[in-house]
Amino acid sequence: MKTGISTIVTIMILFLAGSSLLAQKFEQPVLISSAGQSADVKLVKMLAQRQGLNATTVLMAKPDDLTGFKTLVIVPGFSSKGLGAAGISQQDEIERVQSLIKAANNLKIPIVLMHIGGNARRQGQSDSFNQLVADNSKYMLVVKQGDEDGFFSSIASTKNIPLTLVEKIAETAEPLGNLFK
Amino acid sequence: MIKRTFQLVLLLVLILNPGIRGQSAYPSTGMSGMAATAHPLASAAAIDMLKSGGNAVDAAVAAAFTIGVVEPDGSGLGGGGGMVIYLKNEQKSWFINYYGRSSERASELNFSSSRDNSTAKAIGVPGTVAGLLMAHEKFGSLPLKKVMEPAISHAEYGFPIDQTLAKLILDNIDKIMSDPATASIFLDDGFPRMEGEILVQRELGKVLRLISEQGSKGFYEGPLAESFVKGISARGGVLTEKDFASYKPELTVPLQGTYRGYDILSSNVPQSGISLIQGLNMLENFDLRASGHYSESARTLHIMAEVDKLIYADRYQYLGDPDFVDVPVAGLTSKEYARERFNGINQSKLDPPRYRDAEYGEPGVYDKNYKKEPVLEAEPAGGHTTHLSVIDKDGNAVALTQTLGLFFGSGQTVSGVLFNSAMTNFSYNAENVNYLQDSKQCRTSITPTVILKNGNPFLILGSPGASRIITTIIELVVNVIDFGMDVNEANLAPRFYCQKFEDYLHVESGIKPEVRAELEWMGHPVKVYEGIDLFFGGAQMIYVDPTTGEYSGSADKRRGGIAIGY
Repeated sequence: MKTGISTIVTIMILFLAGSSLLAQKFEQPVLISSAGQSADVKLVKMLAQRQGLNATTVLMAKPDDLTGFKTLVIVPGFSSKGLGAAGISQQDEIERVQSLIKAANNLKIPIVLMHIGGNARRQGQSDSFNQLVADNSKYMLVVKQGDEDGFFSSIASTKNIPLTLVEKIAETAEPLGNLFK
Repeated sequence: MIKRTFQLVLLLVLILNPGIRGQSAYPSTGMSGMAATAHPLASAAAIDMLKSGGNAVDAAVAAAFTIGVVEPDGSGLGGGGGMVIYLKNEQKSWFINYYGRSSERASELNFSSSRDNSTAKAIGVPGTVAGLLMAHEKFGSLPLKKVMEPAISHAEYGFPIDQTLAKLILDNIDKIMSDPATASIFLDDGFPRMEGEILVQRELGKVLRLISEQGSKGFYEGPLAESFVKGISARGGVLTEKDFASYKPELTVPLQGTYRGYDILSSNVPQSGISLIQGLNMLENFDLRASGHYSESARTLHIMAEVDKLIYADRYQYLGDPDFVDVPVAGLTSKEYARERFNGINQSKLDPPRYRDAEYGEPGVYDKNYKKEPVLEAEPAGGHTTHLSVIDKDGNAVALTQTLGLFFGSGQTVSGVLFNSAMTNFSYNAENVNYLQDSKQCRTSITPTVILKNGNPFLILGSPGASRIITTIIELVVNVIDFGMDVNEANLAPRFYCQKFEDYLHVESGIKPEVRAELEWMGHPVKVYEGIDLFFGGAQMIYVDPTTGEYSGSADKRRGGIAIGY
């Protein structure tokens, strides 16, 4: 029942947002970065490679790193291990992501949210990053488990952002590639 | 049949609600038995054994084999551990040290912990199988096949991945991908298996079945051991067939101490019961209750943090494998030495101003047999482990902590067995007591503990969490004994951690803001973790009411798991 409702919601979101999806162009080269320093960004890098995208991954991208890129893919998800390895606090990371988003908006570089970690990257400290990126994205590609409570669907619906939900991480590859065709 | 149904119902609950581990604490009570572990299926395995007429050791061994299957990130056949056993009717206690040892060829490794921690070079001789089988043989009562049945079943038929495991697979993706055999278990189509997916480990099931039929020899000798050596060698490791064949766990007695009228039984050296006892001895010199709980009193927390700092300074200086170095056990656990160390604490401010400048003491003064060994060095961070506590109807108790070293150990899987990263716990400074030598045990933080009151089990506890284990256990003990908390309150109370080789006083946000502010004023560099955090361990505790004899269990919300009683 829950799945059925979710599917209907997804279809509705795609339908309502269809016009903006068609209008929004995503071009290469692509800059991939993290929001929260989880290892998920490394998997998105692999997915982009599988699709043959012209993509560069910078875990802690700053506004200057946007130079020359036409799309910014941000992978949200909190990892204390990742932040520890980077030697930064959660607040440092939020401020970095905020400045990156602001710069991308100023440069009119569209942001794509890719949330692939499911429940493991929801709630708690992850959702501050999820919210920040989702609110500023032009397109969201989400593994369905991460949207069981409608978190991303709700933002997509409210802000008229196209959202694609898939079952498994590997299934994000194709829609990711299609964004640039 | 009833037991199998019970397990299946639990499995169904997990499938319908796979995030159950890690979402909330599960306090439980009972009069006939109790098991608290980091996974519902491991707790269920223990309770199955108790209900089948087994004793606490049968239950602990069943849970330990099972947890290695259903929580493969934290422990397993390729790891090691320690176990404190208390047999109430005999009023006797035992300690089984089954931590890994370095290879007889370890000195050939040129090992670098930072470079080689996720390679076969990091693997020490695993002790889990020998240790659990020793416990079963000496103290168990049920047939081995019966005890190992749940673990075999969950390996062969699978179990749903819970949120904790799903997150750990994501967090450790580089390590998992580094070995195709490990990747084949935890990845699907090259990407992480997710929460709710069924994880089947058929090859591991075969190994477990072999052990259940052939015992220790099936693992440490013959074709399986040959395949381990061949696989590890092909990946650059140096373990030999002799390393496997000659591995023997040690059956000794726990290290003993007292705290405010309670008897402490904990893991013996080179495990870290010694630091727990030293810390509690020092705290006996301070009226914690009058000073107030550490979450509400900066002075209490400051004193406890200073104690932590000093016991770690001593631990880094003196704790190593007693077969290789002289450890001043009597000195480190003496009340007089603890008083001397406590009296050196500045009770109003951080002194010296950096934790790293804390000096080790001279316990040898209180230990006439001790011959001085020099040089201080931190052990590497990491160490990701699991703990389980069990008690049976007769009051026999087991506290068991086992580990693979880092999460997913070395990341190397051979013949279905994921091997440890024990070598990362050694020092590589030849002057240090924990220096890597051939066939030596490293120092480890694991601290399985049983606390008695008048000869009866009172508290059975332990935790994973690397170097945070010791501070976590101290906090849990004072929460119950000094602050009168029940077992679940004690487990949920906010935690803190600092030690000699730290730049911060790590605190959970439950430590009141005004307390944190005052601590900063006293000179502590405070680092706050919102809510509760796995960083501070995942304790599994059982409390026995001294008046009614009722058992209360608590599984730590930080790690998840479940306490089941009946």
